[in-house]
Amino acid sequence: MADVIEVGAARGDAPPPAAKARRRGASAGRTGRATPYLFLAPYLVLFGVFGLLPIILGLWLSVHQWDFQLPNRPFIGLDNYKDLFSSDSAIYGDWWESVRATAIFTVLSVPLLVVVPLGLALLLNRSFPGRTFFRAIYFAPYVLGVAVIGLLWRFLLDANLGLVNRLAGAVGLPADTPWVTAMPWAWISLVGVTVWWTSGFNAVIYLAGLQDISPELYEAARMDGASAWQRFRNVTLPGLRPVLLFVITTTVLASANMFGQSFLITQGTPGTETRTVVWFIVEEGLRDNDAGRAAAMSIVFALMLAVVSIANFRLFRYKED
Amino acid sequence: MTTPTRTTRGSATASRVVLYATLVALALIFLVPLLWMVITSLKTYTGAQQIPPSWLPNPIAGYGYEQILNNSANPVLRWFFNSMLAATLHSLLVLVTASMAAYALARLKFRGRGVSFALIVGTLFIPPTSLIIPNFLIVDQLNWIDTLAVVVVPGAASAFGVFFLRQFFLSLPNELEEAATLDGANQWQIFFRVVLPLSKPALATLAVLSFLTNWNDFLWPIFVLFSPEKLTLPPGLGLLQGSYVTDYPVIMAGAVLASLPVLILFVLAQRHIIQGVSRSGLKG
Amino acid sequence: MIQNDMSRRRLLGLGLGLGAAASLTLAGCGSDDSSSGPAAGNGGKEYTGPKVDLKLWNGFTGGDGDIFKALVNQFNTEHKNIAVSVATYQWEDYYNKLPGAASSGNGPDIAVMHMDQLATFAARGVITELDDVAKNLELAEGDFAPTVWKGGIYNNKRYGIPLDMHPLGFYYNKAVMQKAGLDPNKPPTTKDDYVAALVELKKAGVQGFWVSPFQFTGGMTFYSLLNQWGATLFDADVAKATFNSDPAVEACTWLVDMIKQGYSPANVGQDADYLAFKSGKNAFTWNGIWQINDLKKSPEVQWGVAPLPQIGSKPAAWANSHNFTIVKQRANDANKVSGAKVFINWLSEHSLDWAKGGQVPARKAVREGAEFKALPEISSLAPELEYAAFPPAAPGLGEVMTTFYNSFNEAALGKKSPKQALDDGVAKANKQLEDNRKKYGS
Repeated sequence: MADVIEVGAARGDAPPPAAKARRRGASAGRTGRATPYLFLAPYLVLFGVFGLLPIILGLWLSVHQWDFQLPNRPFIGLDNYKDLFSSDSAIYGDWWESVRATAIFTVLSVPLLVVVPLGLALLLNRSFPGRTFFRAIYFAPYVLGVAVIGLLWRFLLDANLGLVNRLAGAVGLPADTPWVTAMPWAWISLVGVTVWWTSGFNAVIYLAGLQDISPELYEAARMDGASAWQRFRNVTLPGLRPVLLFVITTTVLASANMFGQSFLITQGTPGTETRTVVWFIVEEGLRDNDAGRAAAMSIVFALMLAVVSIANFRLFRYKED
Repeated sequence: MTTPTRTTRGSATASRVVLYATLVALALIFLVPLLWMVITSLKTYTGAQQIPPSWLPNPIAGYGYEQILNNSANPVLRWFFNSMLAATLHSLLVLVTASMAAYALARLKFRGRGVSFALIVGTLFIPPTSLIIPNFLIVDQLNWIDTLAVVVVPGAASAFGVFFLRQFFLSLPNELEEAATLDGANQWQIFFRVVLPLSKPALATLAVLSFLTNWNDFLWPIFVLFSPEKLTLPPGLGLLQGSYVTDYPVIMAGAVLASLPVLILFVLAQRHIIQGVSRSGLKG
Repeated sequence: MIQNDMSRRRLLGLGLGLGAAASLTLAGCGSDDSSSGPAAGNGGKEYTGPKVDLKLWNGFTGGDGDIFKALVNQFNTEHKNIAVSVATYQWEDYYNKLPGAASSGNGPDIAVMHMDQLATFAARGVITELDDVAKNLELAEGDFAPTVWKGGIYNNKRYGIPLDMHPLGFYYNKAVMQKAGLDPNKPPTTKDDYVAALVELKKAGVQGFWVSPFQFTGGMTFYSLLNQWGATLFDADVAKATFNSDPAVEACTWLVDMIKQGYSPANVGQDADYLAFKSGKNAFTWNGIWQINDLKKSPEVQWGVAPLPQIGSKPAAWANSHNFTIVKQRANDANKVSGAKVFINWLSEHSLDWAKGGQVPARKAVREGAEFKALPEISSLAPELEYAAFPPAAPGLGEVMTTFYNSFNEAALGKKSPKQALDDGVAKANKQLEDNRKKYGS
């Protein structure tokens, strides 16, 4: 793998980095000024072409009425943006309903998706016979694609025919809960399925993070007579802080990007109450061929997410640097 | 060792029991729906539609698997191979580019570091699915449509890997670099000989997660792959069921076949993910 | 830079596309098509140019796709200088990817499309006019059912050659009817019969007619009823939505009342109506003709199929149709277009085999032949062709139809009253139609 990295870094039209570093850095690890940029270069090439350029194109699309093949793709200024905020446009109602749906799902799912996997990771980080087996099981649902888990749960959660209601009936609970077609059940189902499906993902990240915490710290705490809770508060949590910031940030974004689950399981019902922003964007952009409007929605949505995430970063910042 | 041990043999056993009871209870929650998937994959077409559903397939049928594996009209094995190749190359590309970039962002000081990081993480806010059309225009210009590159490369620009590894590199203790620097190592040597070996858990995790993201990707391949023999597995498996009726055994058999290799990969990788003890000596 | 290039390319494509359409007239003499039987080796009779490779896209996944591919293979063996290769995608993905594929030069030569998509793809310049194809092949309204034939026209030009039509049919479970003391060989055909049967079924403890809140199949059922009540979804110019008219609200109320009166459970899930039908939990389901072949896979289910009962003031049934279209290319190739034409005509004539896949052939001669009549279930739905309610030809109608189905969903789930749901839906649909007019011009 090292070879690959060297080749990758050297692609930036610079002298072989190692050689250069050696020449300059005769004394204690001083490296050339270019070195950080050489480290960044391979990724930045990718990022420029497939990360930034699409966004710039997206901005360009958003001020046009844009379709792959329509004869006219007129420049329409900020009309696509205005439509999102003026109550007499065709999409105003749908758009804000989808924002609301996304916000509800994010607020309900993120706390669970941050806490439950942490619990799983702590459990699985212990040493006991069979832990590989349990790790695999908890991770297993995430191995499946959303198309499969969507169909699976749609069948299991069916109000009249599904197994979940059958089991509920067997233990004396109501057997006619409308899991996917009425509120608040639709949200409960979507959040529940998502926690079931993706907890393994965050748990694995936590597990990796837990490896960075020195066992000596735990030992020292134990010697000081710290309880399990105190060890968690004073050793585990501070040690996990950068990872926790990562998990919270990416989980907020992942939840805000939810699409497949409601598309397949609730199909947006009741009405369009569970249709999320990303679903709506995909529908506008790919099905209704209005790439400009879809781009405008993405940008407004990204700004909303940025506000949330910046607040999130602020919370963590003072500890990090 | 000098601290008074409050745990007696009895309560140690008790906590074991509690531990396993918790583990098994949780395992059931995760497993039962998956078992249902496997059971369904072994039913006949009509057997899977029975209401109320039977708990066990009766008879056990290879119908779903046959539709997939004995399918002369569709090159399923080819799709499997395409997916393997794409996901492997993709996760290698992510590991290489993201680890280098993350190292610079986490451990090196240079002008523009804050701005670069903000810019990279900032792109995470744009829903990736909404960039399908712009990305399509770009890969079209590159003449990458309907090639392997189109399902390997663009996804690697995601900020996820860089952000992920940066957070891990941040938590590495500074003393390590200082010691290496005193030994006369330069940044490249520190990166390869100190940081990467210490970050095995994070690298293994990222490898698994990016492999999986690529393996399950559905929307993008649909949009940019056109030849039947170039498809990856997820869009390919979608073709095996009819347009109007959900063919549960085929879908579930496809899911079992598609997820087993990834599960095996995870079991192999998780040894590298959990390896804390070996490192502790370095921390001194 | 990319953008400029894209638009230049699109303009080029458009110009060439028109050229391709004009060139269709050059390839002549397809008139003697009735004699072009399976005589191997004389395929060059209709297309005599050098060998062409044609790409065809469709959304026929699963069993339908196998039948279609077999037909294409037969065509290929009979036509040595035309090689058609088939690529199949799931319909939804298919419509998403076709514009990008066509604009980037990766698209097919021939595309199969639902009738309600033709106008959208025509307005967007993805597909070419086929008036001259119809003329050269001497295809006329008389060869097809008028409802299907007219559906291929947008802005007075033809864009699709119909292959089949697939209406909603009325399926009844004979065993369940018998259990409730009903004559399993006399499915209800009128409103009174229908309700009377539901009453009997209810007495026997069966909720006879599950009303799904989803497009498949509740939405399509409502679509049919709305037409039976004499209402329409849109006005004649598809400028205004009209699905909140009084008869439309009545039709919706009748259907939603099935739930209130206990003939249907509430909260019926996707596919649950059909799965329940198969396992004898209900007696009636209004479902697509495509389920005939599916039901044949379950020999233990005793079922029958008939045209939809007439609940409103006239007969009507939801229907759609698969059409052949020719996709505009970046580079014009008259040979390909001629070859495509030969293929479309050949397949249209051989649509009897396609009918075995579970669709009513669009071509009259095939539909009225003895062989088709020997397919009892499928041919029993052929009469619906006379009053089938096809979606109107207007570009961008997909999102408006979604609005229509969503408003039924709200009514069926009791979120809103039928009137309120349909009023809200119409208000939104009118705005969408207005946007479409601006976008596609008219």
